[in-house]
Amino acid sequence: MAFVPPARHLLRAKDLADARYFEPLGVDDLARAAGLSRAHFSREFRRAFGESPHAYLLTRRLERAAALLRTTDRSVADVCLSVGLQSIGSFTTSFTRTFGVSPTAYRASFPPASRYALVPSCVMRVYGRPQRRTFREDSAAAAL
Amino acid sequence: MSFRIATAQLWVHDQDEALKFYTEKVGMEVRSDVTMPEMGDFRWLTVGPAGQDDVAIVLMAIPGPPVMDEETGEQVRDLVAKGFAGTIFLTTDDCHAAYEELSSRGLEFTEAPEERPYGIDSSFRDPSGNSVRLTQVRDLATL
Repeated sequence: MAFVPPARHLLRAKDLADARYFEPLGVDDLARAAGLSRAHFSREFRRAFGESPHAYLLTRRLERAAALLRTTDRSVADVCLSVGLQSIGSFTTSFTRTFGVSPTAYRASFPPASRYALVPSCVMRVYGRPQRRTFREDSAAAAL
Repeated sequence: MSFRIATAQLWVHDQDEALKFYTEKVGMEVRSDVTMPEMGDFRWLTVGPAGQDDVAIVLMAIPGPPVMDEETGEQVRDLVAKGFAGTIFLTTDDCHAAYEELSSRGLEFTEAPEERPYGIDSSFRDPSGNSVRLTQVRDLATL
């Protein structure tokens, strides 16, 4: 059996936060992934990575939320739920404290998400084609 | 003057374990496995992806003194275990298929394939903690 440095177990917990932040995951789940008691885990995690597991998980969620605000047009409430947070109120508070602006103001400071959507040219050709506007034909049709 | 990348190195905690992982789970080939008694049993162990013969990864054991003092060795072991010792970026032409195949061999992904602006991206770690990304890079010319 190979020697496994203790930090490798802590990395499992960190990976879990990165991979499943969108689920209702908590520090207890992270501690379980590392195979440690919650108190011991929190202490060791902070010692290894310089911040508490709670702070790591929250900032991972906020980072993903910020990305969704920039790259999608989903509502703030939807973004909040999409990153595993339940309360829109605490999400807005945490987000504002972290980024210095509210989720809505944060989004407004970036170009609209549609600008970055890589919509294939064939779709743009089909959906972007304007309806033809005419004069006499339309009124003639309307008169019928 | 020109040069090419031939080999890049990863620190691993246990060479046998790493070899088993990269060959049996990831599906790479052994390129070289030579132990040199005259160099304190230094083991040159390299693996690489099938079909890309001119690039290999050295799975390097973290040495003890006199090559590396105990304290530094401990720091390197710790950095690798914390996942801060580097990343291998692999590309594939079908990220979802690769994910299915590697998962069926028991490889646990840390990130399942996800759409990103640059393509479809996924990741896993080797037993030591080194991160490996597996990406299907989006070909912008096909859009």
